[in-house]
Amino acid sequence: MNPREEKVKIITEEFIENDEDANVGKRKKNSKVQRQPRKKQPPTTGPDKMVSEESHLGNQQEPAQDKPQTRLLSVTARRGPRSLPPIPSASRIGFAEFSMRERMREKLQAARSKAESALLQEIPTPRPRRLRSPSVKELETEFGTESGKEVGSTQQEDDSQSYSRVKFHVSARKIKSKPQVPPGFPSAEEAYNFFTFTFDPEPEEAEEKPKHQDGTNQEEEEGEEEPPAQEGANRMDEEELPHGKDAENFLLGLDHTANEFLAVRPADYESVHVRLQREKEMLFIPSRLTVPTYKKLPENVQPRFLEDEGLYIGERPEVARTNQNIMENRLLTQEPGRRWFGDDGRILALPNPIKPFPSRPPVLTQEQSIKTELETLYKKAVKYVHRSQHMIGSGDPSGNFQLDIDISGLIFTHHPCFSREHVLAAKLAQLYDQYLARHQRNKAKFLTDKLQALRNAVQTGLNPEKPHQSLDMIQKTINEYKSEIRQTRKLRDAEQERDRTLLKTIIKVWKEMKSLREFQRFTNTPLKLVLRKEKVDQKADEEAYEAEIQAEISELLEEHTEEYEQKMEEYRTSYQQWKAWKKAQVCKHRPDQAGSGRAEEHPEEETEEPYPEEDPVKPTPPEPTDQAAIEQQVRERAAQSRRRPGEPTLLPELSLAGSVTPNDQCPRAEVWRREDVKRRSVYLKVLFNNKEVSRTVSRQLGTDFRVHFGQIFNLQIFNWPESLTLQVYETVGHSSPTLLAEVFLPIPETTVVTGRAPIEEVEFSSNQHVTLDHEGVGSGVPFSFEADGSNQLILMTSGKVSHSVAWAVGENGIPLIPPLSQQNIGFRSALKRADAISSIGTSGVTDMKKLAKWAAESKLDPNDPNNGPLMQLISVATSGESYVPDFFRLEQLQQEFNFVSDEELNRSKRFRLLHLRSQQVPEFRNYKQIPIYDREIMEKVFQDYEKRLRDRNVIETKDHIDTHRAVVAKYLQQVRESVINRFLIAKHHFLLADLVVEEEVPNISILGLNLFKLAEQKRPLRPRRKGRKKVTAQNLSDGDIKLLVNIIRAYDLPVRKPTASKFQQPSRSSRTFREKHAASPDTRSPTHSADYPLGQVLVRPFVEVSFQRTICHTTTAEGPNPSWNEELELPFRAPNGDYSTASLQSVKDVVFINIFDEVLYDVLEDDRERGNGIHTRIERHWLGCVKIPFSTIYFQARIDGTFKIDIPPVLLGYSKEQNMIIERDFDSVRSLSEGSYITLFITIEPQLVPGESVREKVTVRRHHINFWPGAVSMYVFFSFRQQFLDLLAGDEEEHAVLLCNYFLFLGKKAWLVIGNAIPEGPTAYVLTWEKSHYFIWNPCSGHFYGQFDTFCPLKNVGCLIGPDNIWFNIQQYDSPLRINFDVTKPKLWKSFFSRSLPYPGLSSIQPEELIYQNTDKVAAAELQDSRIEKILKEKIMDWRPRHLTRWNRYCTSTLRHFLPLLESSQGEDVEDEHRAELLKQLGDYRFSGFPLHMPYSELKPLIDAVYSTGVHNIDVPNVEFALAVYIHPYPKNVLSVWIYVASLIRNR
Amino acid sequence: MAEVHVIGQIMGATGFSESSLFCKWGVHTGAAWKLLSGIREGQTQVDTPQVGDMAYWSHPIDLHFATKGLQGWPRLHLQVWSQDSFGRCQLAGYGFCHVPSSPGTHQLTCPTWRPLGSWREQLARAFVGGGPQLLHGDTIYSGADRYRLHTAAGGTVHLEIGLLLRHFDRYGVEC
Repeated sequence: MNPREEKVKIITEEFIENDEDANVGKRKKNSKVQRQPRKKQPPTTGPDKMVSEESHLGNQQEPAQDKPQTRLLSVTARRGPRSLPPIPSASRIGFAEFSMRERMREKLQAARSKAESALLQEIPTPRPRRLRSPSVKELETEFGTESGKEVGSTQQEDDSQSYSRVKFHVSARKIKSKPQVPPGFPSAEEAYNFFTFTFDPEPEEAEEKPKHQDGTNQEEEEGEEEPPAQEGANRMDEEELPHGKDAENFLLGLDHTANEFLAVRPADYESVHVRLQREKEMLFIPSRLTVPTYKKLPENVQPRFLEDEGLYIGERPEVARTNQNIMENRLLTQEPGRRWFGDDGRILALPNPIKPFPSRPPVLTQEQSIKTELETLYKKAVKYVHRSQHMIGSGDPSGNFQLDIDISGLIFTHHPCFSREHVLAAKLAQLYDQYLARHQRNKAKFLTDKLQALRNAVQTGLNPEKPHQSLDMIQKTINEYKSEIRQTRKLRDAEQERDRTLLKTIIKVWKEMKSLREFQRFTNTPLKLVLRKEKVDQKADEEAYEAEIQAEISELLEEHTEEYEQKMEEYRTSYQQWKAWKKAQVCKHRPDQAGSGRAEEHPEEETEEPYPEEDPVKPTPPEPTDQAAIEQQVRERAAQSRRRPGEPTLLPELSLAGSVTPNDQCPRAEVWRREDVKRRSVYLKVLFNNKEVSRTVSRQLGTDFRVHFGQIFNLQIFNWPESLTLQVYETVGHSSPTLLAEVFLPIPETTVVTGRAPIEEVEFSSNQHVTLDHEGVGSGVPFSFEADGSNQLILMTSGKVSHSVAWAVGENGIPLIPPLSQQNIGFRSALKRADAISSIGTSGVTDMKKLAKWAAESKLDPNDPNNGPLMQLISVATSGESYVPDFFRLEQLQQEFNFVSDEELNRSKRFRLLHLRSQQVPEFRNYKQIPIYDREIMEKVFQDYEKRLRDRNVIETKDHIDTHRAVVAKYLQQVRESVINRFLIAKHHFLLADLVVEEEVPNISILGLNLFKLAEQKRPLRPRRKGRKKVTAQNLSDGDIKLLVNIIRAYDLPVRKPTASKFQQPSRSSRTFREKHAASPDTRSPTHSADYPLGQVLVRPFVEVSFQRTICHTTTAEGPNPSWNEELELPFRAPNGDYSTASLQSVKDVVFINIFDEVLYDVLEDDRERGNGIHTRIERHWLGCVKIPFSTIYFQARIDGTFKIDIPPVLLGYSKEQNMIIERDFDSVRSLSEGSYITLFITIEPQLVPGESVREKVTVRRHHINFWPGAVSMYVFFSFRQQFLDLLAGDEEEHAVLLCNYFLFLGKKAWLVIGNAIPEGPTAYVLTWEKSHYFIWNPCSGHFYGQFDTFCPLKNVGCLIGPDNIWFNIQQYDSPLRINFDVTKPKLWKSFFSRSLPYPGLSSIQPEELIYQNTDKVAAAELQDSRIEKILKEKIMDWRPRHLTRWNRYCTSTLRHFLPLLESSQGEDVEDEHRAELLKQLGDYRFSGFPLHMPYSELKPLIDAVYSTGVHNIDVPNVEFALAVYIHPYPKNVLSVWIYVASLIRNR
Repeated sequence: MAEVHVIGQIMGATGFSESSLFCKWGVHTGAAWKLLSGIREGQTQVDTPQVGDMAYWSHPIDLHFATKGLQGWPRLHLQVWSQDSFGRCQLAGYGFCHVPSSPGTHQLTCPTWRPLGSWREQLARAFVGGGPQLLHGDTIYSGADRYRLHTAAGGTVHLEIGLLLRHFDRYGVEC
C-alpha cells in the first residue's frame, strides 16, 4: 500500500466520522486543520511523528527542488478547473478577509457535502495515471519508481479503508475522552487558541497531523494526474491545503508555547521477574525432558515395534531429540485425548518426504559432466563417404575399448601331488570357510530374534486394549502370526542344527588330521585349529533354555489343541451326517417306525448296516493331545540341535601357525612328493573370444599349492566380448605344458569399471587321471584314509582362480566400454539380481510372469512404497483379475484426446490407398488420383491386393498345372518381390550424373573438331550410327516410347513344297493367285515342281511383329531369301503407366517376330468371272518365329544381328531342301548351318537409360545371388545345381553349368564359355571338343554350332572355365570365329591358377551326385490331356469370337499319335513319313499345321506361342482345327511339351 | 481422421558465418500421426551463395499426414551443415520449429544453435574444423535439460510452408 494513499484515505474517513459525530467533531476537525502548520514546526515530537515527518519531508522536498515559487501557482492553476462546486476560487485568494467564523461555516458545509459524497462513494475510485507535462520532470521520476506499487495498491484500498477506519475510531474516542476546559477568549485569535489548547496534549493529534499534511501533499501530486472532470472524494482536503499553508505563515509566532504541551516521563520498564511471573500465568512451556513411554501409550500396553516384526516402516524424518520431546510433552498436556502416538510410543510420522538427492538442478560448471542425452561429441570434419548408407552401424569411429583382467592367483583345492594330509587340510579349510560364512550371516540368531518379535506381537495383539480394531481382525492377524511363528521356529531349528553339525564336522576333520599327523609322524601343512571356549552364565543360560522350551511347548500345545478342536468339529459334523443318513435308512426300511421318535435311533445305530458300499463309516472322535509327549519331543529336539545349557560356546579358529616338518625328517616317499611339487609350475592363458591374447608368467607351485600371479592384462578390444576364458596349464619339469582346466570368466557388466571390481574366485576342475608313485594321492584315482582301504575317495584336480575383470576407464573418466549396439543381446549376467532390468532384461519388464518371478526371487519388500507400483502391477498381473494391457503406452493421455480410434483410422479406405501408394505396393504403385471421400472408393480396389496377401503362402494351382511348379513359381515370385523391393530402395541412391546433366562447355578442341566437321562429306559412303541422346525414365507417358524393329532380311526360309500326294488334282480354290499368272495352272502338280524357273516365287514371306498385343507387319517379299528392309514402329506401354526404371526393368513382355508365308487363294467360284474380277483369299502360313524379351532390348539398348528362326521341326507343305540348290551363292557360308535366319535391328526410341547396375547382395536361403538389378527378371543364380534342378528355373549360367558338367560326366572335353551372345547379352555357353572340332552349345535351347558358324549367336568370348582352371581370353579378337581355343597356349589364354597361384584343390560345394527322380507319368498324362489341351482349345475358341470353331477329332487323334514319334526322333527324318500318313488319313483336307516344341514351365508361354502362330486367324467358313498335346516327362520333373496345331480345310 | 498437408520448401539460410551450407531436415510427429505419403526427412544440396548472404536451397517438403489427435503436431528439426573447401562437412547449427497449425502459407524463420563445447574444442573448431555435435539428436526438439548445454547461435533458416487441413472442424478443432 502506498503510504500516501493510505493517508488520503484516513483523511476522508476522518470526515465521515466527523459528520456522524455531528457538530463537535466537525469543529474539532476544523481546528485541527488550522493548527497543522504550527504543529509542524516543533522539532521534538514523538518518534512516531519523526517517522511520518520524514516521509512527509521527502515528499515535499522533491517538488521544492524544482521551482518553488511556480509550484504554488501551478497548483492553483491546476486546481482551478477541478474544484467544482461549493467554494469559489475567490475564497482562497481573499482568504485574509474572511473571518474565522466564516471559514468555519464554509468548512462545515464543505465537510458535510464531502461526507455525503464520501458515503456515496465509500471508496475513492482509483485514479488513473496520466502523462505529465515535461515541466514536472522530477515528479515523473518519482512516480516512475512507484508505479509498480500503485498498481497493487488500488486493489488493496478496500482493506486499507477498513483498517484506517478502525484506527480513526480509536483516535476519535480518545479525543472525546479527554475533554479539557480551555480558557475562553472571544477574539479570533483566542478562538484559535481555544481550539488548539483543547487538543494539544494528545499524542495522536501529533501523529495525525503529519499524516494529514502528507495526505494533502499526496493529493497535490495525484491531483495533477486526475482528470479534471472527476469528482474526487478528497476535494475537501485540497481545500484544506491552502489553509494549512497560509496558517503556517500566520501562526509562526506562536511557537513559544511548545513546552507547555510536553510532559517528561520515565521509560516504561517491567522487571523481568514480573514479566516472567505474568507469563507463567499465561504461557505453557513444555518440558524438554524425554517423556517416558508408558505415558504415551494406553495403560498396560507394551510398546510394539513393527519394524522388528518385519513390517516395513518408512524412514522417519529427522527431528532433533529436544524438539521431539517438547512436542510430545505439549501433546500430552494439550490434547491428551487425541491419539498422536503410535504403537511404538513415538509420534506418528509419515516417512521422510525428503528426497535423498536435491531436485534443484546443480549449478553447471564447465567441468561438470553433462547428462548423457546432452552429451556432445567432438567430431572431426570428415569427408562424406557416399556409400555408407548400406553399412550398418558405421557410426562409431573409435573402437578403443579396454578390458582389464586382473589375475591375482590360483589355489588348488585338490592336486595330484596332495598328500593325504593335504586332502584333509583342504577339507578343513573348506569347512572353516563355510563356518565363517555362516557365522557372519548368523541366521539362527536372526531367526531367534524374529521369533521373539513375533511372540511379542502375539502378546500385544492378544491385549484387549485395542478397541478400534475389530475382533475378528485381531484374531486373523494373530492366526497369521502364529503360523509365522511355527514357520520361523522350524527354520530356526534347522539352522541351529546345521550350525551344530558343521561345528561337529570341523572338529571331526581336525581330529582325523591330528591322528594322521601322528600316524605318519610328520606334518605337511601348517594348519592348526584352535577351539576357543566361551564361558556362559550357567544359570541365565539354563533359564533362557528352559523358557524357550516352555514357550515352544505351550505353542505346540496350543497348536495341537487347535488341531484337536478342528478335528473335533469335523468329527461332529461327520457324525451328524452319519446320524442323518442312518435315520434315512431307518425310514426307508421301516416306514411305520419313521415317526416313532428318536428313542429308537440308538438300537438301529448298532444293528443296521444295510448298504455297506455306500454307508459312511462311523467317525471316530480324535484323541486329545498328550502334553507330556509333546514336552518330550521338544526336549529331544532341543538337545539335538541346541547347545546344552551351561555348555561353553565353541569358536573354532583356524590358523597357519603350525610348523611343517623339514625334508630330512620325512620318509622317502614324502620327500619325493615334495620334490615333485617343486618341479611343477603353472601358468594361465587368457583367451578372449576363443583367441589367446596373453598368458601369465609360469610360476612354480608352492608347497601350499598356491600360486600367486598378480598380473593385470589390459585387453584392447574392438568387439563385444563373447567369451573370456582362462586356461590353466601345468608344466612338470621340462616337459610340455598340459592343459589342466578351463575357467570361464563372466564378462563384467558395463557398470563394472577398474578399481571398483571386486576380486572374485572362480572354481575349476579337471578330469585328468594322474597316478603318482609317491605320497601324492593323485587325481581321479581312488584312495582311502583307512588302513583296510575301505571308504574310498576319488578326488579330481580342482582349484580356484582369484581374478577380477573390469572395464578400463579412459583418461577422461569415460569407461572404455563398447556401445550397447555391439553387445550380444543374449548375454546376461546371472549375478545381477537386485536390478530388475539387468536381471531379466528390458524385455522382461513387460513380461509379467518373469517380473513376478523376479520379484519373488529378489524378496522385494512389499510394503516399501518405492516398490508400490511394481507390487501392484505384479499382483494384478498374477491374480489376473483385471485386464492388463500387454503394451506400454508412451503417451498416456493420448486416448482421451483422440479424435477417432485406431480402428477407424485404419478403416479409412482413402488413407489406406494413399499409404499403399506411397509404399509403392505393386498394385497401387501408379495409382494416379485417389478419391477424396471414402465413399467414392470401391471396396474391390483392395481385393486383388488382399488376395495376394492372403495367397502369399497358399499355393495356387489353377494357373500352374502341377503343384511342384506352382511351388516353384511361388518361390520365384517371392524372390522377385524381394529383389524388386531391394531395388526400389537402391533406386533412391542417385549419383550426381543421375541428377545433373552437365553439358560440356565447348573448348577449343571441340570447336576445332566442329570446324573440321564442316569439311566432312555430307553423305559419307559408310555412315556411322550416331549416338542418340538418352532419356531418363521420367516424365514419360504412354505413347512416348516406341519400339523400333528394323527387319532387314531373312535367309533360307523354307519354301513351299509341291504336294506330292494322291490328290494332285488342282482344285480351283487352291490355286495360288500368283502362280496362275505364272502360267502354271497348278503349282502343286508334281510336274511343275521340276520346271519352276529359277527365281520363281516359292514363298511369299512377310514378317509380323507382335508386342504387347500390338501387331505390325511388313510388306510381303518374295523368295526364300527376302529382303524387306522395313522399319516397324510399335508403341510401348509400361505396366500401370509407370515409366520408372524399376518398372521398365520388370517388364516381362516379349517381342514376337513371326514369319509368315502369304498364300493367295483364288476363291472365284465361277471361272467365267475370272476375266473381270479377282477374288482371292489371303491365307498365311506360319513359318517360324523369333522371340526377344523386352528386357533384353532394354538393357542392350539395341539389338542388331542375325538370328536363327525358330522353325518347327515339321512344317507341313514346306521344305528347305531346294534352297541348297537354288541359293548357290550362300552354300559355302552356310554349309554347316541348318535352319533359317533373319537379320534384325531392334531398338527403343527414345533411348532409355538402363538402370544403374548397382550390385547388391541378396541372400536367399544362404546362397548368394549376385544380380544386376536391371535384370530383375534374369537374376543370375550361382546357386546349387540341386536347387536349380529343384526349382526348375534358372538362367543361362545354370543351364550351362549343368550341361558342362554333363559333358564332363560323359567324358568329353568341355568348358564353360562366358561371353556375350545375341540376344541374351552376357551369358554362358558350353564349348566342347569333339573330333578336332569345337562346338559351341547354347545350353538353353540345346542348339549347337560349330566354331566357324557365322550364325552362332555367341559373339565374343571372355573366358573359359574348365574343371580345374579358368582362362581369360587375351587374344586380339574375341569372336569365336577368330580365336583359338587351345588353352594350353599361355600367350592366348591367361590362366587364373598358375605357378604363382597354384590350384588349391578347392572342394566343391555342390552335392557329389545329382539325383534325378523319375517324374510321375500319370500326372504328366493328366496334365497333357485334361489340362493343357483343354485350356488351349478353349483359348483358340476364345480367340475366334466371331466364328464357329470346329474340332476335327480324327485329325487330332492322328496328330496325337504322331507327337511321341517326334519327341523320340527330335523332329528329324519323320517329316516324310508323317506327311504320308497324314495324307493317307486326311486326304481330302487341305492341311496346314505344325508342331511346337517347348519346355514346360508354365501355361502362359504355351498359350502365347500358340497365339503367335496365328492359326486361329483363318476365317474360312468351313475350317476345322486340330490340336494335340503331348508331354514327355523327363526325370526330375522336367517336361517337354509338344503342341500340334493344325487347321484343315476340306477340299471340295 | 483429420488430414494435414504440409507443402512448402526450405528456402535457405542466412546469418551463418560459414559459406557453403546444406541442411538436413526431418519431421517428427507424435504417435497419433500417420504419414500417408511423402518423405519425412532429407537433405538439401550444398549451396554456396555467390551474391548476397543467403544460401538458397529451395528444398521441397511435401508431406501428407493423417492424424487421430492433436498431440504431437509435426515439428521440423533442422541441422545446418557447412562444407569447407576440402569437402569436409561440419555442423553449423541445430534448429527446430513447429509446423504451423493454421492453414495457409507461412513464412517461418528458424533460428539455430550449435553446441559450444570446451575451449579446447572451440579452438580446434576454429583451426581444424569439426566441432562438437549432439550425440542424441532428440535434444534438438525435446527440451530435456537443455539448460546444461552451452551453445552458440548459428544463423537462421527460412522456411515457407503451406498448410492444408482437412476435417479438423469435424472434431471440434477450429482452423
